[in-house]
Order: sequence, then C-alpha cells, then structure tokens
Amino acid sequence: MRDRKAELLQGTLDLLILKTLSSGPNHGWGLAQRIEVTSGEVFLVNQGSLYPALHRLEREGLIRAEWGVSDNNRRARFYEITRAGRRQLEEETATWALVVGAIARVLEAV
Amino acid sequence: MRGIFFGRRRRERELDEELRSHLDMETERNRQAGMSEAEARAAAHARFGSVAEVKDEVRDSWGARFLDELRADVRVGLRGLWRDRGFSLVVMLTLALGIGANTAIFSVVNGILLRPLPYTEGDRLVRVQQQLPRASVTNRGFSPLEIVDLRDQSKTLEGVAEYHTMWFHLLGHGEPLRVQTGVVSANFFDVLGVRPILGRNFVPGEDRDGAQPVLILSYAFWKNAFHGDPSVIGQTFEMNDKPHVVIGVLPPIPIYPDENDLFMPTSACPFRSAQTTVTNRNARISTVFSRLAPAATVAAARAELAGLAERMRAAHPADYTNQASMTFNAVPIREEITQGWRVRLLLLLGVAACMLLIVCANVANLTLARGMRREHEMAVRAALGAGRRRLLRQLLTEGMILAVLGAGLGLAMAAWSHDLLVDFMARRSARVSEIRIDTAVLLFTLGLAILTGLVFAIVPALPGRRDVASAMKEDGNRTGAGLGRRRLRSALVVLQVAFSFTLLVGAGLALRSLSRLEKVDPGFTTENVLTMTVDLDWARYRGQQNQEARIAAYDRLLERVREAPGISSAAIATTIPLNQTANPFSGQFEIEARSAADREARPRADIHLASPAFFATIGLPLSAGRAFTDGDTLESTQVAIINRSLATHQFAGEEPVGRRISFDQGQTWNTIVGVVADARVRGLDQPPADEIYLPVRQTSPLSASLLVRTSLEPHAAAGQIRDLIYSVDPRQPVAQVKTLDEVRALSLANPRSTTALLALIAVLAVIVTAAGLGGVLAVTVSQRAREIAVRMALGARRGDVVALVLRQGMTLVLLGLALGAAGAFGLGKVMASFLFEVAPTDPLTFAGVAIVLVGVATLACLLPARRAASIDPMNALRAGA
Repeated sequence: MRDRKAELLQGTLDLLILKTLSSGPNHGWGLAQRIEVTSGEVFLVNQGSLYPALHRLEREGLIRAEWGVSDNNRRARFYEITRAGRRQLEEETATWALVVGAIARVLEAV
Repeated sequence: MRGIFFGRRRRERELDEELRSHLDMETERNRQAGMSEAEARAAAHARFGSVAEVKDEVRDSWGARFLDELRADVRVGLRGLWRDRGFSLVVMLTLALGIGANTAIFSVVNGILLRPLPYTEGDRLVRVQQQLPRASVTNRGFSPLEIVDLRDQSKTLEGVAEYHTMWFHLLGHGEPLRVQTGVVSANFFDVLGVRPILGRNFVPGEDRDGAQPVLILSYAFWKNAFHGDPSVIGQTFEMNDKPHVVIGVLPPIPIYPDENDLFMPTSACPFRSAQTTVTNRNARISTVFSRLAPAATVAAARAELAGLAERMRAAHPADYTNQASMTFNAVPIREEITQGWRVRLLLLLGVAACMLLIVCANVANLTLARGMRREHEMAVRAALGAGRRRLLRQLLTEGMILAVLGAGLGLAMAAWSHDLLVDFMARRSARVSEIRIDTAVLLFTLGLAILTGLVFAIVPALPGRRDVASAMKEDGNRTGAGLGRRRLRSALVVLQVAFSFTLLVGAGLALRSLSRLEKVDPGFTTENVLTMTVDLDWARYRGQQNQEARIAAYDRLLERVREAPGISSAAIATTIPLNQTANPFSGQFEIEARSAADREARPRADIHLASPAFFATIGLPLSAGRAFTDGDTLESTQVAIINRSLATHQFAGEEPVGRRISFDQGQTWNTIVGVVADARVRGLDQPPADEIYLPVRQTSPLSASLLVRTSLEPHAAAGQIRDLIYSVDPRQPVAQVKTLDEVRALSLANPRSTTALLALIAVLAVIVTAAGLGGVLAVTVSQRAREIAVRMALGARRGDVVALVLRQGMTLVLLGLALGAAGAFGLGKVMASFLFEVAPTDPLTFAGVAIVLVGVATLACLLPARRAASIDPMNALRAGA
C-alpha cells in the first residue's frame, strides 16, 4: 500500500505543491499538513520527500522562498508560487484532467 | 570559484535550519497531542524519514550537477589536449604570444596614460608657460619677479609654485655627494598635493630671505644614501657653505619634472636668492606649476593668463622690448607628461589587438582542423547521449583551458619583456617607473584570455547552427561559402607572411646597423680609461674672482692623481667623448685676416676645454703642431687646438698652425698651436664635427670631468683615485664614475633597445605566421582526405602527397614574400634615417630574411604534409562512403 502511495506521489507531487501554494504562501511543514489533510491522508508518506521537490521547483523558478516567522513564532522558510508557477499549474492541471479523463474512458470501455 | 563555495555553505546552513524548523513544528504538534518530549521528537523523525537522505536529494537538485559536469569537462578536455600534445603546444604558444604582446603593451599604456597621476586631483594641475609665438619659443622660464606678479594677480590659479633644478654638493654624510636639487617655493608640494611619508612639508615662509635652509629628500635618494634610516630627519648637512636641516622624505612616486635627489626652498639656493636674480625681471630660470582654482577651467586660466601677460608687458615696457608677442599659457600636467604618447601608444595597442585577432584566426583554423579529425570522437559522444550543448561546452572548456594556460604563459612573457620595454621607454616618458603588471593589467589579461578562448573555440563550431559533428564535417568542403572561407584563410596567411617578412627585414636592418655601430672606430681608444665628474663647489668657486682658485684646484687634483700606481696619464676636460647625457658647447668664431663681412655666417664649432694630457689620455693623435702644455696659463698667449675636420673646412690648403681665431669678435685672439685627428666625440653614429679645444688653465671651467688612463683594472683604480681626491679636498665630490668603454656602450643603449624590441616583435610575428600556415594546411589536408586517399589508391606515393601539400603551402609563402618585399622597401625608407652604414635595401638582409622565413615555413608545412602522407586510403574512403 505504502509503495503505491509513493509512486502516485512521485508523478504528482509537483502539481500538489503548486496547487497548495496557489492558495497562499506556506512553509514545508504547513504544506505537508495541508496535502495530507486535503488529500484525505492518501499522500501519507515521509514528509522529508517534500523538500527535494520544493528545492527543485525553486531552482526552476516555479516557486520562490523567503525566510519568515510562522504562526507559533518559529523561523521558517516560506514558499510562494511565482507567475511561471501559476502558468505551469494551469497547464499541468489541464493535462491532468485530459489524462485522467482519457484513462477513465479507457477503463470504462474495457 | 569562491562565490560558488560560499553560496554553497550558506545554502547548507539554510537547509539545516529549514529541516530543523520542520522537525520542531512536528514535535510541537505531537507534544500538544499528549506525547512526552522524547516520544514527540522520535515520532517527528519517523514521519520525516532519513534527514541525511533528504539532504542528499536536495543537494542533487542544486547546482551540484553543474560543478560535476565542469569537472568532468575539464578532465576530458585535459586528456584530449594531452593526446594532441603537438596541437596544444602550438596553440598555447601562439596564444601566449598574442596575449603576452597585448599584456605588455597594455602595461605601458596603463602606466603612462591610464593610471592617475601620483598627485591629489592631478588632473587639475597645470604647468604655466611663457611663450614668444613670433620667435617660436613655446616654453621659456619665468623670473622671480614675474612669479610674484602671477601669484598676486591670478584668480583662476590656486597656489603658484616655482621650480628649477641645479647640481649642488652635500657635505657631512661620509663622502661628499653631488646631488641634483629641486629648488622650489615653499608651497610646491602643497600645490602638487604630495605629503612626505616622513617628517613634514615646507611651511609658508621657509622660502623667505634669511629662513633656516631645510631639505626634503626624495624616496630613492633616502634609500640609496641613507639606507632608509628614519633618524635622518633633523640631521644637518652642509650645502653651499650653510647648514641645511633635513625635515622630510617624499613618498616613492616618480620625481617630476626632473629626477631630483632632494628639494630645497628658493631662499636656500645661492643662485636663486642672489640680488641679481631676485631683482631682474629677465632672470627667467624657473618653471611654474599651479593648481586650477575650484571653479576654474583650463580655458578660463588661459584667457586670464593672456590678459595678465599683456598687462605685465605694459607695466614693464623696458623688460619686454621686442617681445610684443609675449604671452602666457597653461598646459595640464597630464598632457605634458604624456605628450605625444597618447596617439602612439594607442596605435601600438591597436596593432597588438590586430595581432591577437590574427592569432585567434590561426588558432581557430588549428582547432577546426583538429575538430575534423575528431569527428569520430564527437559522433561517438553524441551517440552516447551528449547533447549539442554539452558538446559545445566541451569545445568551450578545451578552448578555455588552452586560453588560460596561454594567458599564463603570455603573462610570464610580458613580465620578462618588461625590462626591455622600460628600457625602451626610459628616455621617452617621465612615468616609466609606473609601468608594471598591476591588478588592472591582470584583469585585462584575464579578459583577453576569456575572449580569445570564446572566439577560437566557438567560431569553428558556428556554421549552420546544426549539431557540431555535422557542422564540422561539412564545413568548407564543397559549398560556395566554404570556398570563400578557404580563400579568406589563404589570403590571411599570405598577409601574415608579408607582414612577417617586412618586420624581419626591419629587424635585420636594425641589427646590421647596430653591429656596424659597435665596430666603429671612434678615432680614440676607449680601453683602460676611467672617467668621473669632479664639479667644483658652486658656492666656493664661482665667479671671475675665483678663476685662479679653480685652476689651482684642478692642478692640485691632477698632481695627486698622477702619483697613484698604474696611472699613465690624467686630464681634466669639460667633455667626456661619446657621453650622450651632455651635449658639447658649440660656438661661433672668426678667423684673423678673413673678411668678416657677414657676422651671421661666421663658422661654428664644438668647443671643448681640456688640460694638456687630454689627448694622450684618450689616445687622440696630434697631426700637426703641439698639444697644450703647463706653460699655457692666464699670463701667456691664449692658444687653441683645432681638429682635422675644422682645418680642412676652414684652412683648405693653408697652414692653420700659427693663425688666430676669436670668439668675441676680435677683442681677444687665440693662436692655433696644433691640429688633432678627427674623432667621433658626439656619438658613434655622428661624423666628426668641427672642433676647437681650449686649455683648462686659460678658461677655468666650474664643472669638469677627470679622465685617467690606467694599467690597472679601471674600477679597482677608481676607489684609489677617489681617496686621493678626498685627500686633496675632503669636500670634493666624485660622481658618475664610468670607464670610457662603459660610456661607449651606454651611447648605444637606445639603438640597442630599439633593435631588441624590433627583433622580438619580428620573431613573434614569424612564430604566429608559422602557426597560421600550419593551421590552414591542416584544414586543407583534412578536407582533401578523400581526394588524397584516391590519389594514393591510384598509386601516388607518400613523397607525392608530401609534395602536394608543400606546393600549396609554398605558393602562399612565395606570394607573401613578394608582397612583404614591397612592404620592406617602404619600411626601409622610413628607417633610413636611423640606419648606420646599411642601405635600406641591403640585399644581404633581404636574402637572409627570405631564407629564414622559407625555412620556418617549410617546417610549418611539413607537419600537415606528413599527416596527409599517413592517411590510410582504405579507411578514408570507407569513412567517406
């Protein structure tokens, strides 16, 4: 079960991060919480896996990071989606919908 | 590089903190859910997974890939370059020459033109000139009275500083010293904006009459004479019969406008402070420096000065009779120092830049040829998944490695040629000591390296912008554009050969001229003669009243020196033959019993004052009459000796001995008692001038030199002679001790440094040309590999193939030689005035240079020719199929 979750995560983690950040800046821990909660705990994997993805997205310019203070007064690195990130999110969402729709049709047809 | 590592360390720190903050938050939440501290932390870690692994993954997403790839590129590049050692060496050397030449010339441009003057706001400093445009006098001095007026009346000039230079004697510091002394107003260094590094500046009033004489030492003099001892401040030395206190030491800046050993205020100089100077508006002995007032421009200063000059003329008509055009001008010091150098140096830099372009073109050809040979390697790498960008980067890395190595070598060459350049510039610019390899020069070199690396690495890969391998394969092969490029390449090589030939001929002519100069018989013997300056003290010996004292001083000196062992003769004279630093005095005279109708057309001759033994000491033979004797004194008949050349010019067919000449239009007469042989006194390249010698005992000069013929090693004798002179007069300085052989060698320093520089440039050009020729042929060989293979398959032997390539190369070389010969004729015409006894069309030079060039070119052709001959027909044909 755990492995299947991980596989799912690999392909879609970027999309999930961008989507979650599109509703407002957040730090790594907060992102992990949000993704777990909103996905109904489907994406319940090592929280650490989030960070390589975050740093890669930052390098690609889809998100940017800045040090700030969290709700409970802790220094944390806050991520924010960039213009390019939003564009990417739109494209990926559309592609996702297309793929999901196609797969669904195939599955139904068989 | 540092940036990469620093950034990296910071990012590591931030990653640590980010992950720690995450774990803390999770722990906090767990605690709030009711776990103990230890449980909460353990659970957080479990949720997070391996921190080390996460860090590794994050690091992967950073630039680590870039660095790794760079390292791999460099490693592969180095390996590839090592495999093609010959190629790498040629490219590196060629680049080193191009970059080295540019670096060297830039270091001169930087030192003389670009570096700020060593004065505060040096660009606001001006030299004020007094001019007589109608008499073409552009820069005569100012008299003290005029300077007072300038100071009082000018508003655009802030601080008017006065300067002149004299030689004095400094006593009280071991041996008496002969020192060049800058005589300045007290505000001189304030105006220039120079602060002493030790002690203090002159203060206002220290140049007023009766002030205590004080001295400021130049840095070099302080180091040489006082070994940099700081306790020199406050010490007292005697100059001009008065005690002088040292109050300061200047920083190590070039001492402008003359290389003074020390500076004194005007009041300390007996000449400048004499009543006859101070009250005489025509005693124009000083130079004026000034700083522009804060709001003033040079133009404003010029306008004001012109008006000022006019008012001065009107106020003192008696002092400016026949000087209606007298006016003042202001010239920025920077302009004056760099004078005609701006244009010439920038031109030189332009030439060097052209040379670098040619170097780049040559190296690009070599790289292209190598690239074609590497087609296979590139194809394999592409097949293994290296993208076009990656391959380009590989080429770029190799280019950069070569460029950086070449630049390093070039820098070493620039440092090595530094002395030569400084030598060459020494007599041409006051700022020569500021020529050095500093940060600006290093940055310039680095910039050049990067630029050349980019150019020669990328240019061959450019055509078509397709993938590299196919671009290389197709380059210039059958297409029209390729043909054009090939012609361009050939034309470039022809031009280079022509240029090299011209330069080589120039260097060859200069070399032949120099060797002729070195063999010139000056007409006297320079061996075993020691010379030294023994100027008498100005304060003690000046004036008509001290005439006999001067003669007595020289007599005493000669008497003692002759006693020394090994001395065969000793003389006093105002002229050291071949000494270029002092031009002999020249004057007009008339001959008794000749109609002196035209005073202006009176004959002119160089006038030398000499004691009796002078001719024997330098081995100048007497051809008629007698030499001077001790009997030629103030009381006896005034006598003169002329040289052969004057005798022929003025007494053709007559007997000159016994005739009389006059220098004062017949008031007094000197009887000619002898005729000496002609000698090259002014310089080895100067034909003997008309000369008149007068006896020291009848003329009593204030400054003179001692010439001694010795059977000992001259420099060993020098110490002894010096001691003898001190025993006669402990206050008599002995300076500029040189053998006549050294004086002779020094007189050729200028042509020697010019020749060396010319030869160096010519050799550089030849090497660069050889690389260019080799590169072009290598490209052709690669392109014609299939054709050559076919020929070989059809029975052509290796020798035929070598001949094929050689023929192509030699065609280019011969075209270049023909073109270069034309250039060399032109250059020869320009050089004719510098050449000594060598025709600018000297056939020996032309032929020798041609042979050398053809020899080098053959070597350059041989390498690609041999490669062509070693083509395996089967392989080449199969690869092309």
